[in-house]
Amino acid sequence: MNKKVGSDKLKKGILYIVAVLLAAITFLPLIITLLSSFKTNEDILLGMFSLPKKWVFNNYPSAVETANAIRSIGNSLFVAVATLIATVIIALPAAYVLARKPYKYLKGVYFLFMAGVMVPVHSTLVSISKISSSFGARNSYFFLILIYVAFNLSQAIFLFTGYIGSLDRGLDEAAKIDGCGDGRMLISIMAPICKPIIATEAILVFIYGYSELIFSLILISDSSKYTVSRAMLNFTSNYTTSYGPQFAFVIMSMIPMLIIYLLLHEKVESGILAGAIKG
Amino acid sequence: MFFSSSKYRKTFLKSMLFVLPGVAITVIFVIYPVINTFWLSLNDWNGVATSPVSWVGLNNYIKVFTSEKFWNSMLNAVYFMIGGFVVLMPVAFGMALLVTSKIRFTKFFKASYLMPVMLGTTAVGLMWTFMLNSDFGIFAQFLRAVGLGDAVINWLATPTVNIWCVVLVNEWMYAGYNMLIFAAGIVAIPGDVHDAALLDGCTGLKKVIYVIIPLCKNMFMVFSVLCVTGCLKAFDIVWAMTNGGPIDSSATPAVLLYTQGFQYKLMGRSSAIGIILLVLGLVLSVLLNNVIFKQDRE
Repeated sequence: MNKKVGSDKLKKGILYIVAVLLAAITFLPLIITLLSSFKTNEDILLGMFSLPKKWVFNNYPSAVETANAIRSIGNSLFVAVATLIATVIIALPAAYVLARKPYKYLKGVYFLFMAGVMVPVHSTLVSISKISSSFGARNSYFFLILIYVAFNLSQAIFLFTGYIGSLDRGLDEAAKIDGCGDGRMLISIMAPICKPIIATEAILVFIYGYSELIFSLILISDSSKYTVSRAMLNFTSNYTTSYGPQFAFVIMSMIPMLIIYLLLHEKVESGILAGAIKG
Repeated sequence: MFFSSSKYRKTFLKSMLFVLPGVAITVIFVIYPVINTFWLSLNDWNGVATSPVSWVGLNNYIKVFTSEKFWNSMLNAVYFMIGGFVVLMPVAFGMALLVTSKIRFTKFFKASYLMPVMLGTTAVGLMWTFMLNSDFGIFAQFLRAVGLGDAVINWLATPTVNIWCVVLVNEWMYAGYNMLIFAAGIVAIPGDVHDAALLDGCTGLKKVIYVIIPLCKNMFMVFSVLCVTGCLKAFDIVWAMTNGGPIDSSATPAVLLYTQGFQYKLMGRSSAIGIILLVLGLVLSVLLNNVIFKQDRE
């Protein structure tokens, strides 16, 4: 018996060691980047794997000044929030109709949205760039947001339709008897009930919108409108000699997401899982 | 009679109004661009709106399929796939076993492992580019410290080595993401199965191999579909770390599509790659889904 307890303890010990090791591998690059963002250039060139010899804090102001760091982070936050609001406003009514109405044409509509899942963004790049120049929509956030919405709709409608479909129809019936039309039903009954799935989808769209790269690469050329990914890449390829501010920018770009993650990590976990399993 | 009643017509029209914005956006920004890309892939065009678009038939496809760059990018996509199945899958599954095991702090570990997904691909790519720097990066410093200074090369500028660096960074970023998928599968295993396994004396590694893995088969299938289709689409992480270079050696098909189209202005050829990616993605997911379907029926 004692022997068994001992081997169980040993096994658990091994599990702990592996778990801590994996966590260390996850955090190490982040810690080193954070430390490097407080170093002078000479200090960085001596090697990253050490504490700063002298803690300097001017890398951050310098990144804000030369790379427009704050502005680009603000741009990305704006685009991400606008995308998630637009996605929910457009997807929820559509999902409600798809889940609740019997019309035949809706099968075709649902199929159209699901076909959207299969299309990789890259197959549309050239055409979207062409459309944007013929509409004079380069550097337009409105156009960029519409595209982001287009590529998030399928997922949103899939999740919302599934959620509404699983709700009890008795609720609708009761509301209908009370004289509740489709519009009111959507706003005062469906929207509040769907809050959990809306939150899930909002998190997924936000993660996508904040760090999206390829469309902002082809559609945004005005440097004051750069999103954060774009601005970072631009900064690191143009200021190759001064490393401190680059580390500072990378750290700053991560802060909004890390704050969201710290506050909502369980919601984020369930959201990412729901998004992944849909396929 | 019922069909012509005005109330029916009103709710019918209202239902159309509800789906219309979504349908319009999908058609304009997803469906039409795909059709248009297909048409452009049969033409030559330099991307300038006023320049002529000239019909060349299948020429772009022939050029793509006979170019070494394209096959190299496909090879890189295959490296992504190999990395996915050989490194990412075992690591993610191992993490899933850890966070569903009986050790303490599993919530903390789970949240930690998932964290890299939140950081943004570009930020992750740049961060690791610094780590891999051959002058001051942690690997260079470590190798020099243990006297293996000769092994320090410019990893991201050496063909084949560079794409593997990118692949491994990709696994670092997505291990936690895939852990969630496997963990969901493991948690869904009913308690009686665990009890029965315990009664039969099936524990530890034996239990993982004979009980948990077979019961998580669906999750392995989900992983496979995501991994295979994701490999074809890999762009951000490659672009952030190497720009696909040097001379396209680390380019994935999506990166090649971008450089051909938006740097060399070969829009026709870029479109052809886009259509190839679309078709290949469809074929592979149908194939994988049918494999799932078949196994489920048996």
